[in-house]
Amino acid sequence: MNIFNVFNRGTVNKPGRSVLNDGSGLMPALVFSAAVLLPVAFFSRRISGGELHSAYPLVWALFTASAAFFIFYTGRVSFYRRLFFSGMALSFLVHFKMSLLSKVFASSCFKDTPYCHVAIAPSFFNYLYQQYLALMSGDWRLWGPLSLAFLWLFFTLVIGRAWCSWACFYGGIDDGLSALPKKPLIKAGFLSGKFRDFPAALLIFLLLVSLSYMLPVYCLWLCPFKLTTAFLDPDDGFIRKIQLALMLFALAALLAGPLLTKKRTFCSFLCPFGAWQAFWGRINPFRVAVKPDECSACSACFDACPMCAIKAGNDGRPVISDYCNLCGECLAACPGGILRYSIFGIKFKENKKGFGRMLNPESFLVFSALITGGVVGALFAPAAFKDIFDLIRGGLR
Amino acid sequence: MVSILFEGFVLGLSTGFYCLTTCLPALVPYLLSEGGKLWGANFAIFLEFLAGRFIAYFLFAVVSTLIGVAYKPYLPGWLAPFAMLLTALTMLAFLFSSRSGPSGNRCFLPVSPFFKRIPLALGFMTGINICPPFMAAFVRLVNMADITAGLFYFTGFFTATSIFMLPAIAPTPFINERLKNTGRMTLFIAGVWYLIFGLKWLLLV
Repeated sequence: MNIFNVFNRGTVNKPGRSVLNDGSGLMPALVFSAAVLLPVAFFSRRISGGELHSAYPLVWALFTASAAFFIFYTGRVSFYRRLFFSGMALSFLVHFKMSLLSKVFASSCFKDTPYCHVAIAPSFFNYLYQQYLALMSGDWRLWGPLSLAFLWLFFTLVIGRAWCSWACFYGGIDDGLSALPKKPLIKAGFLSGKFRDFPAALLIFLLLVSLSYMLPVYCLWLCPFKLTTAFLDPDDGFIRKIQLALMLFALAALLAGPLLTKKRTFCSFLCPFGAWQAFWGRINPFRVAVKPDECSACSACFDACPMCAIKAGNDGRPVISDYCNLCGECLAACPGGILRYSIFGIKFKENKKGFGRMLNPESFLVFSALITGGVVGALFAPAAFKDIFDLIRGGLR
Repeated sequence: MVSILFEGFVLGLSTGFYCLTTCLPALVPYLLSEGGKLWGANFAIFLEFLAGRFIAYFLFAVVSTLIGVAYKPYLPGWLAPFAMLLTALTMLAFLFSSRSGPSGNRCFLPVSPFFKRIPLALGFMTGINICPPFMAAFVRLVNMADITAGLFYFTGFFTATSIFMLPAIAPTPFINERLKNTGRMTLFIAGVWYLIFGLKWLLLV
């Protein structure tokens, strides 16, 4: 008996799995995961440099490659994506935030550097210039956190909006929590129409006001991850109370919102970077496409979309907005299997068997997204493994 | 007088970027929410905003010159926060009285003709919000203590700083209904922001 059959129950079009998988092909899945493993292992090793034992980046690369394997082998894109994505976000929390609780965790050049392209608008041009200098220095390992804007451009070209569901080290928390409840206690669908553009409004406001006040306004006023770090300004009166209240509100949107609504409430309604990425993600070729002729307008995809990115068109059929971040939930939920990953919405003849599946748009997306997520995760996940290992071995010191 | 005009112009050119960042949070959300497809209409809004600023600057030129004449370098401390609070209330009142607010095509309050002149009011109130370049101009005028020179000086200052705001109308013809709705939400956030700071600074006075 094939031991992997445990992950491969059922047939095509069953909710939870891609229609492009017929369950065949252990070898193609192994080759696919090896293709993901090699670059992630290489970059993880390079990024970790001499700071960590080589076993830690290898473990992270194997974790990423195993996600690739199971996605390809079972066709369950969103399920295994979420395991990978949430694992990465948890490792981020462990290494960057929990490290404040103890000295046992290793330090990192990123540890005290909460850079954010949106919030630090006033220094954005200076930031870009420094990265230009870093790029011209020739050794990419010297770039450090100042290279994030160049990396952002590169990642946007490679995976575009998929960043928010495959590589964002914050979004994984929202995403993981939104999958926990079986049914939503509160239906949040009504928010998707009227307030879905609120992050864009917030982005415009933050860019204007950050420029005006020369302050990282998002970090100061809204970022829920400020919980474990210090406030930047010395105000301790009226303004601080409002900042605290907003921070708690954002934290509730991040933690309680997904549990109550089964939607990624923070990412959908409060994250300005999500709006930024939705705008620039248009330059990336990957899309989720619908075959309208075959759609029965059952609305399964509306309910399944954790980002409130699918709206009903005039005929009741789904219209996918720019906020779609290619998580794959709708593909898995569609009973007819009429939703597909595509490249610029172009119809390709799709292969359903063997090595030919590697040429499908879905495989290109998963390959690109997992390598991107794996390399981004390599900045902190191997160190988080070490943190956990040290914690188990030595306890909190 | 030409040299005074030029002096104000140069100060405006050298500090205009800072002026721009003070006024844009009020101007841009309004342009987004109320701008149209036609450049001309959007430019009219822009000019109205500038006119409001000009009136504020004009008044400041007169007041600061009189202060200079009286050798009383004093302005009431509540003026700037009060202007900010008023800016916030105007923005929020406009938003909730507009015909197409963020919650659909409902009218929360009857539309007052006053709010049709909101760019003028916003321009005026952001004009009397004292920012560092404005303060520099103010100090210079107190020293000059001459009303005519003050008017020339602030005209130059106003003209130069207005140049920096021109790019704000560039993308307005591309505004669609969705972006207008986003603009209204931005207007709401900016209104709340001004409200918080107006209240805070008023409490400190």
